[in-house]
Amino acid sequence: MDISSLIDSLHPLEVKVLSTFGANPSAVLQTEQLAQSTGLEPSQLSMAVEWLLAKSLLTVDTETVTPIVSLTTTGELYFEKYSPIERVLSAARDAAKTGKRLTIQDIQSREGLEPSEVSGAIGRLKKEGALLIIQGGCIESTGRSSQTAESMRGLLQQLHGAPRELQAFSEAQRQVIQDHAVKRGNAREPFRIDDRVARALKLSITGIEAAQQLSRQGTAEEVSQLTPELLKDGSWRTKRFRKYTISLRAPRIAPGKRHPYREFLDTVKTKLVSMGFQEMRGSLVETEFWNMDALFMPQFHPARDIHDVYFVKKPTHASSIAEPFLSRVTQAHQDGGETGSTGWSYPFDAERARRLVLRSQGTAVSAHMLAAQPAVPGKYFSIARCFRYDQVDATHATDFFQVEGIVLGEDINFRTLLGLLNLFAREVAQAKEVKFLPAYFPFTEPSVELHVRHPKLGWMELGGAGLFRPEVTIPLGVTVPVIAWGLGLDRMAMVALGIHDIRELFTDNLDLIRSTRGAF
Amino acid sequence: MPTITIFKQDLEGLLAGPGEAPQPITMEQLEESLMLVKGELKGQNPDTGELRIELQDSNRPDLWCCEGIARQIRVKRQGALARYDFLTTTSKSPKRLNVAPGLEKVRPYVAACTATGYRVTQEGLAQLIQTQEKLAEMFGRKRRIVSIGLYRLAAIEFPVTYDLVKPDEVTFTPLGMDTVMTLGEMLLVHPKGLEFGGILAGQDRLPFLRDAKHQALSFPPIINSREVGEVRVGDDAVFVEVTGTDLSMVVLTLNIFATNLADRGAVIEPIEIRYPYKTAFGKAVMTPQDLGKSRKIPVSTIERALGQALGTHEVAKALTAYGYEVTTRGNEVKVTLPLYRQDLMHAMDVVEDVAISRGYSDFLPVMPTQFTVGGLSRIEEVSDRLRALMVGMGFQEIISNILGSPKDLRDAMRLEGTERGELVEVDNVMSQNFSALRQWMLPSLLRVEAASNRAFYPHRMFEAGEVARPDPTKSLGSRTVMVLGGMIAHADAHFSEIHSCLDTLFYYVNQAYSLEPVQHPSFLAGRVGAIVSDGKQIGVIGELHPEVLERWQIGVPAVAFEIDLTELAGC
Repeated sequence: MDISSLIDSLHPLEVKVLSTFGANPSAVLQTEQLAQSTGLEPSQLSMAVEWLLAKSLLTVDTETVTPIVSLTTTGELYFEKYSPIERVLSAARDAAKTGKRLTIQDIQSREGLEPSEVSGAIGRLKKEGALLIIQGGCIESTGRSSQTAESMRGLLQQLHGAPRELQAFSEAQRQVIQDHAVKRGNAREPFRIDDRVARALKLSITGIEAAQQLSRQGTAEEVSQLTPELLKDGSWRTKRFRKYTISLRAPRIAPGKRHPYREFLDTVKTKLVSMGFQEMRGSLVETEFWNMDALFMPQFHPARDIHDVYFVKKPTHASSIAEPFLSRVTQAHQDGGETGSTGWSYPFDAERARRLVLRSQGTAVSAHMLAAQPAVPGKYFSIARCFRYDQVDATHATDFFQVEGIVLGEDINFRTLLGLLNLFAREVAQAKEVKFLPAYFPFTEPSVELHVRHPKLGWMELGGAGLFRPEVTIPLGVTVPVIAWGLGLDRMAMVALGIHDIRELFTDNLDLIRSTRGAF
Repeated sequence: MPTITIFKQDLEGLLAGPGEAPQPITMEQLEESLMLVKGELKGQNPDTGELRIELQDSNRPDLWCCEGIARQIRVKRQGALARYDFLTTTSKSPKRLNVAPGLEKVRPYVAACTATGYRVTQEGLAQLIQTQEKLAEMFGRKRRIVSIGLYRLAAIEFPVTYDLVKPDEVTFTPLGMDTVMTLGEMLLVHPKGLEFGGILAGQDRLPFLRDAKHQALSFPPIINSREVGEVRVGDDAVFVEVTGTDLSMVVLTLNIFATNLADRGAVIEPIEIRYPYKTAFGKAVMTPQDLGKSRKIPVSTIERALGQALGTHEVAKALTAYGYEVTTRGNEVKVTLPLYRQDLMHAMDVVEDVAISRGYSDFLPVMPTQFTVGGLSRIEEVSDRLRALMVGMGFQEIISNILGSPKDLRDAMRLEGTERGELVEVDNVMSQNFSALRQWMLPSLLRVEAASNRAFYPHRMFEAGEVARPDPTKSLGSRTVMVLGGMIAHADAHFSEIHSCLDTLFYYVNQAYSLEPVQHPSFLAGRVGAIVSDGKQIGVIGELHPEVLERWQIGVPAVAFEIDLTELAGC
């Protein structure tokens, strides 16, 4: 790393320390001197020094270790309320004056001391000859003084709020301090001895170069953050901005966003609108009439079984079916009516037609549109939620979207149907290659299945379509040919979203929804 | 629609016809040819030649078998269907089948024929049984409308009688059993009796098929006799009968069997059915019988529907090569379906057959050119605008099932017995998890929250979508309503946080609103408000009740709102 990029990478604290050497790069400076001239807090200084040492910009010239004594919280407590040894001795002396017998238990209960504190103090006083233990667990003052008890008060007073070097104390005092200093296994002591490391520091050769470079650059202060104040008074001009390590991983956020599957459907919606399609909407609950009868599915059709469609529990039937549609559809089923068809030749059950079901196909929405005097020429679509009585598994959902619609016009025929499907293939699946296969739907004739080669996903079935049978359109009042089309987009969506289970389209896993991204 | 199993070598034999060398077909040719029958290859085993094919057209039961598929391809290759002479050569003294009086109220119709001279092979037998099952199951609606019986002809003495007997009047040993039993007993103990007995529910006399020696053939539509009602490999004389409730479907089914057996080289001998009551075809009906009614169609009708000028000749050629009998007169074709089909309801059915026969690739796609204006519904526009605002406020969009469980939609929301807890429920429940339409959105959001306690917080989510609300004033008994639900969940989620979001939404849709105190069991009392706009309650906002969170096993507070967009948009 060259010097200038090295300097760029320095923290403002490091810059401050290096600059202190500026005037005299080869100086050897004590930590205290550095603290004084940089004006840094000890913790900040030591951080900066450690960083500079790690970067080999600074080296340690000499190192002196000074033991420093300070009071622990126990020590500060003893300063205020006297130490156990002082209290035990004073109690023993009071007892001697009054001639009362003093048991160890008395001391404990009277002074509110821990047994271990009392026994420690008594042991020390006995050793120093200031106490005797007599029969019956009583103690008695000998009248002699205790070195420890005497020194203790002085030490507590001297050290209260003010740590001092150990060497500042007499040998005897040092002994007391060391005896009562916090050690491993004995944390409840008044004194603590810490080593203060005083280093004499000097710059390394690179450090000297950096310091010289810094002094040449001037004294511009480095800041980490541009603030409104800096902008307001223009002082940003005299600052340098610390450079960031931009290769670090960014912290994660959860953005507000559309659901990936909805995003896909929105794209399809936009495409359809741009192709001139008008949106239609319908009801989740439908009558069998609009869901099936109007689509010329005979009432005995297997797909109308209770194993295929969900029936509504209450009410079971709609109050009525609009005329003239009911009569005309009835005729179409029975003998073809006005449609030029033979019909299905069975007695149409008008009661059955009112039976309520959950919409099982989006074509029900188209059927309503046909009956609502659609525009001619006209193009319509719906993205309708549909329901099927299916065992839910990786490929079957009970509740799914169908993208469906119709195109009406005098120019509608089999070839324009294929043309429309070509358009879908190109616009919705970006496919240039298509295959049209004969297909069967109860309500269209001819019927086509559209297979396309998706540029990424390969050959797949994109949808089905056909010309509505006259048995569908004529009873609903439409006399021009009508294309009915449907796109099967779930598979495309699943591949685009990288999922293999259709249930994941409606997943309840927020993490998955947040992290899924589409490839469309 | 049915998926059937056939064997490639069997298909190749049928493509050539009996006594001819098999016509090999490559897999590519097969897939191409399957377009003629709306078939899709679902699977294959190259070692055994087994092919699994799905047939789409529910109106073409003749195609649900190897013979039918082969026939359609063969006709196309040969350009026309060879005539079946059993329709024209009438015997002076045909075999007879007599129908007993009273059957018109039970199972009125029967059709039958014999097939001799074809020695039944393993593959042929497998196809006969599969066709019998598929036709009875799907075309015959689980034997209710049509059921089929196959017998060893050698053991049968004519005339056969389609009789009507009391449940305990006759006995025989049914297939799959080794003891003699009455028809009544068969209904009670035989697996087929249990499965199909419902068809005869309420009848005090039952259909029974016997021969001239009073030998039992079968108990239609339940089970055949073990003695004569089981065709085996190597048999070269078969009796086929079809019974049912729809005469033309019964005859069509027999026609399919007769053509199938004829295609395998059998000589078909029609049988005369004698009814004691009137039928649409009279009292004496020869079966098989050509049901084909001819239909005249102007060529222009076909050309207009296809968008292509073809001319009478080309139309006639295409239909002939698809099995039709066609005569032309000027600009009109007169078409008759072959005997194994009966699916011509409208001229458009013929149009499709012209297209399939010529191949869809023969038609050049043309773009519809008429100009139309595209656009979204008002409710969708409103919904899209609000969705964009929700995204802007940092909410993740959710999509959920609309079908849910009353437990989640009502009980877990503390709405039992309240108007807000009323649901559109499903009658034929498959799983309690999918047994009611959601009546509001918040359970959908809580479902996600409950499953996502490991997703990092805060959670802000929304869903715009449809719900169904019971409404006795509507013909459908319910209304479909578009709603928007938003929810925030994290350790410090608070009413004011969601209130700010709601406030922002209303600001940008430029609509005034107010919050009014309301009783709502799903929310903490005193921390819930009805959203009122234009004098109407159009939603609710509040802190979800701790008991609701507990029922959903959610461990953080959640605040939420829901707005009725249908009301907001005035739709």
